[in-house]
Amino acid sequence: MVVDTTESTPPKKTPFGRWIAGFWISFLSVVFGLIVWEIAARYFIDPFFLPPVSAIVAGAIELIERGLLFQHIAISLFRILTGFILGSLVAIPLGLIIGSYMPVRQIFDPYIHFLRFIPALALTTLFLVWFGVGEVSKILLVMYSTGFIVVINTATGVVTTHKNKKLAAETLGASAWQIFWFVTVPAAVPSMYVGMRLALAGSFLVIVAVEMLAAESGLGYLIWTSKLYFRIDWMFVGIFLLGFFGLLTDYAWKVIGRRWLRRYVRETANY
Amino acid sequence: MTIEMTRVSFAYDGGTSGVPVLADVDLTVPDGEFLILLGPSGCGKSTLLKLIAGFDKPTTGEVKVAGKTVTGPGKDRGMVFQDLDSALFQWLTVRGNVEFGLRMNKVSDADRKRQADEALRMVNLSGHVDKLPDELSGGMKQRVQIARMLAMRPEIMLMDEPFAALDAQTRQMLQTQLVTIWSEVKRTAIYVTHDIREALNLGQRILLMSAGPRAGIKHEYEVPLSYPRDQTDPTYIDLLDRLSKDIEEEVTKVWS
Ligand SMILES: Nc1ncnc2c1ncn2[C@@H]1O[C@H](COP(=O)(O)OP(=O)(O)OP(=O)(O)O)[C@@H](O)[C@H]1O
Ligand SMILES: [Mg+2]
Repeated sequence: MVVDTTESTPPKKTPFGRWIAGFWISFLSVVFGLIVWEIAARYFIDPFFLPPVSAIVAGAIELIERGLLFQHIAISLFRILTGFILGSLVAIPLGLIIGSYMPVRQIFDPYIHFLRFIPALALTTLFLVWFGVGEVSKILLVMYSTGFIVVINTATGVVTTHKNKKLAAETLGASAWQIFWFVTVPAAVPSMYVGMRLALAGSFLVIVAVEMLAAESGLGYLIWTSKLYFRIDWMFVGIFLLGFFGLLTDYAWKVIGRRWLRRYVRETANY
Repeated sequence: MTIEMTRVSFAYDGGTSGVPVLADVDLTVPDGEFLILLGPSGCGKSTLLKLIAGFDKPTTGEVKVAGKTVTGPGKDRGMVFQDLDSALFQWLTVRGNVEFGLRMNKVSDADRKRQADEALRMVNLSGHVDKLPDELSGGMKQRVQIARMLAMRPEIMLMDEPFAALDAQTRQMLQTQLVTIWSEVKRTAIYVTHDIREALNLGQRILLMSAGPRAGIKHEYEVPLSYPRDQTDPTYIDLLDRLSKDIEEEVTKVWS
């Protein structure tokens, strides 16, 4: 226990109390930022380049009234989450095997280390040609970008598992299979967790680019077409929603880490 | 179980180029003995212990346990690692760590609980079973390692400087506790240390290793004293003196 003199003086703050205090600081910071923005956009900057917050809200309401906004949100999130989950489902077992079994590593390594430098964006048009303009190509692209990050992180987690843990398990009579399942896998959870968190952020980047290039829906599409209509306020609605849902999914991931994976990921879920 | 090493040499590169770390080590440890391996840092104490544990294989020579050649780690030889954190399963509670081996060996629920409780009691951790390793002090972590080994009731207990990273008071306390445990379980113990007093507090016999490379066993000391060791006993003082001079010779070799 770290002795914190500020904490020992009454009244004591509960963890929840501290969280609320932290929350209000962040909340006020955001409100302040929005007010600065509103004033700047109204009085100092050409609203064509930076519309005030109020105009963006009005634009959002207009989009909702046209009945399109929720559809864009839903389809983008669907693509992101489907690609992310499917990509992780493929990548985690693959990363575990690559990390723990040399022949498999040697088979996959050249592909992985070559392809990891080719961003999903570079493959977008190719995937459209191969898999059509439908959902399949978009989800595959998210899977691709997720997959690499998660495979590499998972394999790294396996490889960096301390030798002593496996030796200790051996002296305790664990079989090779038990060591893999009860030592290597849990020891690699923090790397998987961090890899998936990075991949989740990466999925947002990929999906926006894909939707700008080849889609009739989604937040990327909204941002792209707003330009054609000279509706910079709608563009900001799209940008804001990306940030908002990025933040939300990341937060959800942190909650999952803290609530269900606490003893595996430990400090990793704190920031 | 007795341990026998005959003309054991070991080189980390497999003996292809460099000088071996250990050369021509002969060693016999009778069943039930508390043996100390004492030597200057880097001489190869851990290496020797790892050969007995079966983590490494001798380049030449043979390691036998109960008459059978060691080919790898086994649950007959428990190990306590020097490092506080790297050998514990930090996602498992104290109880989870201690029960790990029993679970892997599919010991029945009742036996598992009984053996784990007994091991936890011996190291005085019964009150901390639900803590995670992160929530423990260094001394407690080492006690978890010891309990985890004890729960498996290994014939041979291998310990690699388990208390080296701890403060003097904690170390002294754990030494006393370890002697009690050893006399209770009556198993062979091999304990590595570079601390002469620790060696004298714990061991029935002390093997002093020469400085590496090509390290071996330089001298052997019997400690004809009962437990707990009386540090004012003339024999204790005499041994302390002789060991100090002997080990200093080896340390000087390394530095000159
Ligand atoms: N994995 C390894 N690969 C190559 N050389 C090693 C390895 N481990 C140890 N050595 C070398 O072998 C020699 C003996 O090391 P060892 O760890 O057995 O010493 P030690 O007596 O346990 O030292 P300490 O008291 O500092 O723990 C050292 O010179 C060391 O550099
Ligand atoms: Mg050592």
